[in-house]
Amino acid sequence: MTQNKIELMAPVGSFESLHAAIQAGANSVYFGIEQLNMRARSIANFTTDDLAEITAICRQHEVKSYLTLNTILYDHDINLMKSIVDTAKENKVDAIIASDYAVLNYAKQQGVEIHISTQANVSNIDTVEFFAAYADVVVLARELSLMQVAAITRDIKRRNITGPSGHLVQVEMFAHGALCMAVSGKCYLSLHSDFASANRGACIQNCRRSYIVKDKENDVEFEVDNEYIMSAKDLCTIDFLDEMLKAGVSVLKIEGRGRSADYVFTTISCYREAIDAYQDGSYTKEKAVAWKERLATVFNRGFWDGYYLGRKMGEWSDVYGSKATKRKMYIGKGVKYFDKAGAAEFKMEAQTLEPGNEILITGPTTGVVQATVTEIRVNNLSTAIAVKGDTISIALDHKIRASDKLYKIVDA
Amino acid sequence: MIRITQQRAKCIGCNACVEADAFRWRISRRDGKCTLVHGVEKKNFYSVLVGDDEYESNVRAAANCPVNIIKVEKIRA
Repeated sequence: MTQNKIELMAPVGSFESLHAAIQAGANSVYFGIEQLNMRARSIANFTTDDLAEITAICRQHEVKSYLTLNTILYDHDINLMKSIVDTAKENKVDAIIASDYAVLNYAKQQGVEIHISTQANVSNIDTVEFFAAYADVVVLARELSLMQVAAITRDIKRRNITGPSGHLVQVEMFAHGALCMAVSGKCYLSLHSDFASANRGACIQNCRRSYIVKDKENDVEFEVDNEYIMSAKDLCTIDFLDEMLKAGVSVLKIEGRGRSADYVFTTISCYREAIDAYQDGSYTKEKAVAWKERLATVFNRGFWDGYYLGRKMGEWSDVYGSKATKRKMYIGKGVKYFDKAGAAEFKMEAQTLEPGNEILITGPTTGVVQATVTEIRVNNLSTAIAVKGDTISIALDHKIRASDKLYKIVDA
Repeated sequence: MIRITQQRAKCIGCNACVEADAFRWRISRRDGKCTLVHGVEKKNFYSVLVGDDEYESNVRAAANCPVNIIKVEKIRA
C-alpha cells in the first residue's frame, strides 16, 4: 500500500469558505476569479483584486492555491485569459486549472504550473500522456470506474509518464459533491433553453427540475413519479475512500464552489478525518457511517457512489434542492469578542436562542465556528431564552467579529 | 425612444447580445465583457437612449442574455 501524502482539495467561493477550508484541514483550495470559470454565474466570485489576499492567506497557512480558468474560450477572451494567468503568476498561485488549449499553451510559456480540469474529460492513459506535456496533475473523468482509474495510475508508473516537473503525473479524482447528468460539462440543455452555456459556467441547471412527458397525439401527460429523472444524486465516496486511494488517486477534490462556508467546513472535516484514518490504518466502515451522517447534515441531493463502482446508469434524486438533515436559521450578527472573558457578544435580529441550541458563526475572517450554547447572558443576567432585539453574550473559545453572522442549527 | 440598460460587471462575455445586435453591442478585448455602444455609466449600470428601430433586436439581446443583465424599455420622447 502506498503511503504517499494524499492531498485534500477544497472548493472556495468566498473568504468565509476559504477560512472554513483551512480550519477544516484542506491541503489546497481552488477558486475562480472574473468570468472565465465554471461558476461564472455565481455572485460570490472573487475578482482579480482579491487574488493577492487569497494567496497570502493560503501561504500563511501552508495551503496550496489553484485558480480555475476552465471555460470554453472565444477569441475575445484571450486578452483577459492572459491577464488572469499573468496576475496568477505575479501572486504566486500554485497552479491554474485549465482545459482549453489556449490556456495550456500560454500558462506553459509563462512557466505557470497547470492542472487539467474535469472539463477535459480525461478518460484514458494516452490522453493523460498527452496532457503530461503541460500538467503535473490530471483530474480523471467522474464517469470512470475505479478499475479504470487503477489501470491508468498503474500505467502512469509503468510507462513513466512524467509532467513538466519531472515527477510522475498525479491523478486527481472528485470525491464528493454534485454530479452532472451529462459527461461533466458536455451538456447543452441550459444553452438551448436559456442561452446560458454550461461550458461558460452559466448553467441554469435544468436537470434539477421535475418534468412531465406529454403524448402529442392524444394529449395525455405522464408525470414521472417521485424522481427528478435528470437530477443525479450527489457523489459521496467516504464509505469506499479506501478503494479510491488504493486505486492510486493522490488528490481528492471536493465539488462545491457555489456552496456555503459551513458546507465546506463539514465536508472537508469529514474527508480530512477519513484520509488521516486511512493513512494511520484506523479507517473502518463503522467510522464511515458516522462521517456520512455528518455529511448529510449539509446540502445534498441524497448520496450515491457515482460511477466509480462500475455502475452505468445514474441514480436520480427524489427532491428539488437539498436533502440536508439540518438547516441553519439566521438569528443575529456579531458585535464584539471579549478576549479575557472568552465571551462573544451578538445582536439578535430574528428567532430565539436557548441554552442547549447548536449555533454556527460564519464570517469572512472568522471562517466557520460551530458550538453548543451553554449559557446566555442579556444585560449580564443569565436568561432562559433570548429574543429578537436582545444583545446577548455567550461563552465561546473562538474570536468573533462584527462582520460575522450567527445562525441556529435546527433539524430540517 | 427606447432605453437600453446593462449591468456590465455581471457580464460573462458569452457574445449572445452581439449575435442579436452587432451594432449596439461590442465585446471588449480588454476584459472580455460586452460593451453597450455609447452607453453612459451610472453606479455600475450603463444605459443609452436610442430610436425605436433598435427595439426588436435589443429585446432579442435581452432575451438571449444568460445572466439577465440587459433591460430594454420604451419611453416617451
